[in-house]
Amino acid sequence: MENLTSQKITEDLLPQEFGKQGKIWVAFLLVLCAIGAYAYYRQLSEGLVVTSMRDYASWGIYISNFVFFVAISLVGSLITAVLRLTNVHWSTPLTRIAEIIAVSAITFASLIIIVDMGRPERFYNLFLHGRLQSPIIWDVIVITTYFFISILLLYFPLLPDFQILLRFKEKTGKSLNKLYSFLGSFWKNTPAQIKISDKAINILSITIIPVAFSIHTVTSWLFATTYRPGWDSTNFGAYFISGAFLVGAGGVIVAMYIFRTHYKLEKYITNEHFDKMGKILVLLALLYLYFNVNEFLVPAFKMKKSEEEHLVGLFTGEFAPVFWFAITTAMIIPILILLFKKGRKPLPAFIAGILVVVGSWFKRYLIVTPTLLHPFLPMHDVPQNYMHYFPSWEEWAIAIGSLAGALLVITFFARIFPIIPIHETIIENEQHEKA
Amino acid sequence: MNNMKKHNQLYILIALLSCLSFNARAQATKNDLVLNLSYYNNNNQSQYVMVHAKSKIDGKFQQIPGIDVRFYITSDSSSANLLGKAITNEKGEAFVLIPPSAKDEWNKSANQSFIAVAQASKLYDETKTNVDIVKAKLQIDTSADKVITAKLLALNDTVWLPVTGVDVKVAVKRLDGNLNVNETETYTTDSTGTVTAEYKRDSLPGDAKGILTLIATIEDNDVYGNLTVEKAVPWGATFQNTSVFDKRTLFARRGHSPIWLELMAYSIILAVWLVIFYLIMQFIKIKKLGRLAD
Amino acid sequence: MKINDTSRREFITSGLLASLAIAGCSTKENPFAPDENDLVQPSGEKVKLLSVDGEIIEVDKAFLKPVPDLPTVSNEAARIGIKGKKFVMVIDLSRCKSLKKCQTACNHMHHIHPDQNWIKVYAMQDADHTAPYWQPTTCMHCDEPPCVKVCPVDATFKRQDGIVLIDSDRCIGCRFCMAACPYSTRVFNWEDPGLSKEIADKPYSCETSVPQKTGTVGKCDFCPDMVRQGSLPHCVSACPNGVFMFGDMNEDTVSNGPETFRFSDLIRDKAGYRLMEDLGTKPSVYYLPPVNRNFPFENKEEEGTEKINPKS
Repeated sequence: MENLTSQKITEDLLPQEFGKQGKIWVAFLLVLCAIGAYAYYRQLSEGLVVTSMRDYASWGIYISNFVFFVAISLVGSLITAVLRLTNVHWSTPLTRIAEIIAVSAITFASLIIIVDMGRPERFYNLFLHGRLQSPIIWDVIVITTYFFISILLLYFPLLPDFQILLRFKEKTGKSLNKLYSFLGSFWKNTPAQIKISDKAINILSITIIPVAFSIHTVTSWLFATTYRPGWDSTNFGAYFISGAFLVGAGGVIVAMYIFRTHYKLEKYITNEHFDKMGKILVLLALLYLYFNVNEFLVPAFKMKKSEEEHLVGLFTGEFAPVFWFAITTAMIIPILILLFKKGRKPLPAFIAGILVVVGSWFKRYLIVTPTLLHPFLPMHDVPQNYMHYFPSWEEWAIAIGSLAGALLVITFFARIFPIIPIHETIIENEQHEKA
Repeated sequence: MNNMKKHNQLYILIALLSCLSFNARAQATKNDLVLNLSYYNNNNQSQYVMVHAKSKIDGKFQQIPGIDVRFYITSDSSSANLLGKAITNEKGEAFVLIPPSAKDEWNKSANQSFIAVAQASKLYDETKTNVDIVKAKLQIDTSADKVITAKLLALNDTVWLPVTGVDVKVAVKRLDGNLNVNETETYTTDSTGTVTAEYKRDSLPGDAKGILTLIATIEDNDVYGNLTVEKAVPWGATFQNTSVFDKRTLFARRGHSPIWLELMAYSIILAVWLVIFYLIMQFIKIKKLGRLAD
Repeated sequence: MKINDTSRREFITSGLLASLAIAGCSTKENPFAPDENDLVQPSGEKVKLLSVDGEIIEVDKAFLKPVPDLPTVSNEAARIGIKGKKFVMVIDLSRCKSLKKCQTACNHMHHIHPDQNWIKVYAMQDADHTAPYWQPTTCMHCDEPPCVKVCPVDATFKRQDGIVLIDSDRCIGCRFCMAACPYSTRVFNWEDPGLSKEIADKPYSCETSVPQKTGTVGKCDFCPDMVRQGSLPHCVSACPNGVFMFGDMNEDTVSNGPETFRFSDLIRDKAGYRLMEDLGTKPSVYYLPPVNRNFPFENKEEEGTEKINPKS
């Protein structure tokens, strides 16, 4: 970020219209969403029978997708809050990417949980008849809270940018101008306003950390509060949080690379950013690996009868290919790539990020389904198809559609708002030059 | 030609035969209905007759619901003697209480007949059954040392005389079965028509005051039918309801969660949402400052 | 001729009023001792009857049993349960030969989806060299039910009489209860259970669990509707071997119909136990061990041999 005038910065970072690539990308995501919507229409009319879930595997990829979304949304608190509070300035260009990932992921987490319900039209019962004893109610409360805090943390730093955006009416177009004016015309950059806003962002950064920890801890408790082998673990909260930070950081690296290459932001998202994020990712992958060792080695050492079937199924049985694939792609290979300085260059880091995200998605699948297929009493007195689980096309379509939807939200956000904070970048550039 | 004629005759014969057998089969689709009629007398007060309808379907006897049954007192099924009508339930049972209108007929003799007539339907022909009984009374008494005596008396012309050699069960009345007062299943009445049973169910829970209901029963007796008589005695342990239904537990209903959980949850929610509201207030403040700057 | 006043009062005070009632058969009298029963109150409407002595007496209509069509209880009453009761089941493994009459009767009476069963009969063998046996399972109606703990909307609930029921009109179909239940007793209506119109149009009752509804959870309900009629649950009366015994723990008595036992004696003498005691769920279903069996263990089912890997 050297020798840049604030005018150049502003021009570089203004939201751009979709090019040909962008339009194809949006159309592609829209098609995926439409297929997902059709699949959900089928599910609404026929019932959950269109899925492959049955009485034993009573939760499937909807729930693993939910856990994945909640996990990836945690990155908002990591990049924005943790790094901001520790006065790490290099992360400034990444904060908005992290926050929009958080908001979009937490939105689709709520949507996918409604998709999983047998009676979505009774959703209001959660408010009418909610029982405080149920971890689901805790989850509803913390996810709603996290959603609002994330929106605020996205909104407050946007305020100074609106003032800049409003100056470029011809470039941004009339309708967007109206939107900016509605959202931020009151921002005059007065010292009093800046003071309040800075304070609010600080308070938010502090508040979001425990709330973020809560959303994923409570999500882990949906499993850990049962007796089932593989879920009955006191390690689960920490295990989930470390995994969530890993997938979130991986997601940010992927988004960084795509925005950087697509919008030509090499001056703002620099090689140094990839190097630093790469180091963070290695650290998080090692941390998650540590929790995995805890989670599997300890029960495997004892091999309690109830755990045995489950663990053997993961290590060498039915689920072994997915299990080892997830461990290798989400942790081992990224660690091996990113440990080296060359591996932390943009492209290899991007590949490592993709591996982390894909591996983590399958990891979530392994957390949910194998446990359900290893109940305490043997599976019995049910048709053959109740004893196995492979998602139906409707489930795949809905899961993929929801992922596409989350990406669509991020894409449109980048179209409408500056994906890198303009005002903050200018300020930091000035400070940098002064120094 | 002759041959042909012979054949023709044969064909006609076969056709006729098959017609006949078809008819026979059509009639056979009306299954036989089996009715069992029993007489019940509870506490020498309320009396009723109950019919049990069953039929053999696919080689197995099954209870037949929906049969329209009429009950008559005495062997004469004239409408004057009609006790009532009832339709069999899912268990194939239908009953009528013996109404006051049967008083004159009932008081005629020490013996009594009842008949039940199942009305003809699509599936079954009209079916009749009857039961004859001798009027009898069962009495129950207890002594201070927890000994129970039950006495069976039958009406002989106009006098109630003790009956010997009838099986009587002596039990404690429970939710869905009668628990014998000791290890002996049944007693047989002696020459005074009496059975004597010792109560050996120590500390069996009764109600809140420790009251138990003793019950003496005669089941399916050929002569006297089904008789029961009850007596409440304070021999039970006092029952204290220890339900945790109204306690605050994790498995209680809405609004009954443990205090520690409510305290923790509500204080966290309150703290975080106060912060959120504070921030929204700050936001409004920024907005106001912006308007002032204009 | 009316029964005279003094003797009538005696009947009331001694708690014998309900004994005037008429029961379905002689062994199954009125199910509730009168002063514990909050459900049958005198209606004030009298019915005239003829006594053995040829006298006319009056009885309150509310105490006539069986009432041909019992009105289904309200949702509120079904959620609270029967006062003073604590229902309990005893399953005698030494009598079971996997006839599955219990299962057939249960499926039939509750109109369950043909793929599913609320009662399962497991072929169990705890270890390589231990004896195999049949183990029927119902809902355990735990005293600390993990399924109820996790239900977000009070759709499954624990009543004061110990029964755990489901309100299918409230259930949102999140299936957390199914994940929480260690006994795999809950089933989900993935599709329409294929009911006749007559059944499907009935208003849902938590006590009958009929009709099952798409997108909601179902399970064994201990048949509280039968209990209210003074009858035994369907599985109990369907079993020809008397494997199931049902009763009220507060009366210390269980019965399979023909036989009635003192519950505490039975559990003590035959060393009764409960499943997965270590989980702390405190089930209401007790098992009597498969010793001195009535039948040898013969596993004729093809599917049953495939996997025998239980924990008790």
